[in-house]
Amino acid sequence: MASLKRWVLVGVGACVALALAYLPPRGAKPSGREVLFLAQSRRGTPARQRAQAVADEWRAADGSLRLLRARRQLQELLREASAGTRGSSLVVVSESADVAIATPPLADSAIHVAWRQLGLGETKVKVAVIIQWATLSAARDRPLSEEGSYAYLAPDSTDRTTCIAVVSLVRYWTRVFARDPRVRVQVPFDVVVQSLKAGLGPCAFYAAYGTPGKSVRGWLVSRGWDLALTLDAGARGRQANSLFGMADPRYGWYWEAIYSLPPTAVACLASRPEGCRAAVLAGASDDPVIPVPDIVSMDRRWWTRVPRLVEGGRFLGDVARAVGRDRFLSFWTSPLPVDTALAAALKRPVGEWTADWQRDFVEPIRLGPVPPLGGVTIALLIAALAVAVVAITASRRQVR
Amino acid sequence: MRAIVVLLAILTMPSAMPGQQRWERQVQERVQRAVAAVATSSPSAVVKGSGMLNTSEASSFKTTLIQGTSYAIVAVCDDDCSRLQLTLLSPSGSDLAKERNSESLPTLHFTAQATAVYGIRVVMEGCRWNPCWYAIAVVPLSKLPS
Repeated sequence: MASLKRWVLVGVGACVALALAYLPPRGAKPSGREVLFLAQSRRGTPARQRAQAVADEWRAADGSLRLLRARRQLQELLREASAGTRGSSLVVVSESADVAIATPPLADSAIHVAWRQLGLGETKVKVAVIIQWATLSAARDRPLSEEGSYAYLAPDSTDRTTCIAVVSLVRYWTRVFARDPRVRVQVPFDVVVQSLKAGLGPCAFYAAYGTPGKSVRGWLVSRGWDLALTLDAGARGRQANSLFGMADPRYGWYWEAIYSLPPTAVACLASRPEGCRAAVLAGASDDPVIPVPDIVSMDRRWWTRVPRLVEGGRFLGDVARAVGRDRFLSFWTSPLPVDTALAAALKRPVGEWTADWQRDFVEPIRLGPVPPLGGVTIALLIAALAVAVVAITASRRQVR
Repeated sequence: MRAIVVLLAILTMPSAMPGQQRWERQVQERVQRAVAAVATSSPSAVVKGSGMLNTSEASSFKTTLIQGTSYAIVAVCDDDCSRLQLTLLSPSGSDLAKERNSESLPTLHFTAQATAVYGIRVVMEGCRWNPCWYAIAVVPLSKLPS
């Protein structure tokens, strides 16, 4: 009987120990730290949301109209440029509040340097860049233009050999190019070049590699060219282009940044080839649909978009650099499905190559059920205690 | 005689237009050389068409061929083009002759049995840097004695 009591006491003691370890004390208050919901923003009233939706529609329609208008206006300019500057297929024009203005020398110089750095000279597909400068006084008869938004008109929607890029500069960059004294920090020239280089977006790919084959083009169109935001993103890790790029594993919001990503992107961060493959090949179809006119609109502000693949904007640029021009051209113009064509160019399965590429940016994360260290320690201590009690009890009950 | 033909071909060659792209100039020069190579008398051929195509795209032209006249139909394309298919179509649209074996310089020889409007179809079967420029020429070779 005494032995039974002892066992009951040991059991109750173990339960109390577990409860102390895991249950929060009564009346515990929250830490007071704000929880950061990265994937959500505050919602406005229904009327406000409706107004925003109408404004977005207006901006989209206005952007499309601007591109189609530019298609007509730029033809003469392109002819003059081709005749005048032999060896370059780039034309730059500027406008502010729908009025053509002279391109500031800094911007003109920087974009031509960007063109040369991309290894582009005379190309089969010419590029016309329209730089829209931010206006400091907003017009009241229309929604504010979306600063930092970019739009592209594919060559097949112009004369088949001209890609048009409309780059809307944010006020900061407008002041930088205008050498506004309010900008106190001197922006290095190579940062300006890099920024305008990124602004060429899909047009840089069209210039470098021509019009893609139907399957590749349909794939990129269906996902808004998110894997080809820039042909040359510069050195890896130079700048954070995503929320995840800025996240630090030492802080709690690191995991919130991770789980704001789609599941396939999270799987790819964990170096799972099947996740990487799904993230890259999303949108690929056997029967791609290409819209007419083919307008690509993108918002490069990383805080407004959720990437399908971390650092995905540089993916195709890195593929091109890794496999070389000939193999990339074979992929780019291939009539084969994207999966097959890309694997042939990479000479590896897409998922495996992408998992390795992803590891170059971020340390792979661990996914799946992992017990917390504290829990494991307590469980081991309890187990050790139980074994010790049993051993002691057993030793005392030995018959001599 | 051949030297005169080549000289005439060079003289009639259009000079590079300002604003014309390198690849466009390339195919114009090539088609003139091809015409000079196949023509037996004066190079009175008219370049019937030129343009650009992406891989797998096709383009068609119409041309009137005279009864009893032999023609050489030549197509050329730029350096990035690896395979070009050339097809001659009857006035009703059916295939009369097809050349797809000579890669970037397909040539067809045809004698018209009747004066009619024939079709010529060009298919860009291989272009490693889209678009690829091409040009076609219809060269009258000789008229059969009636």
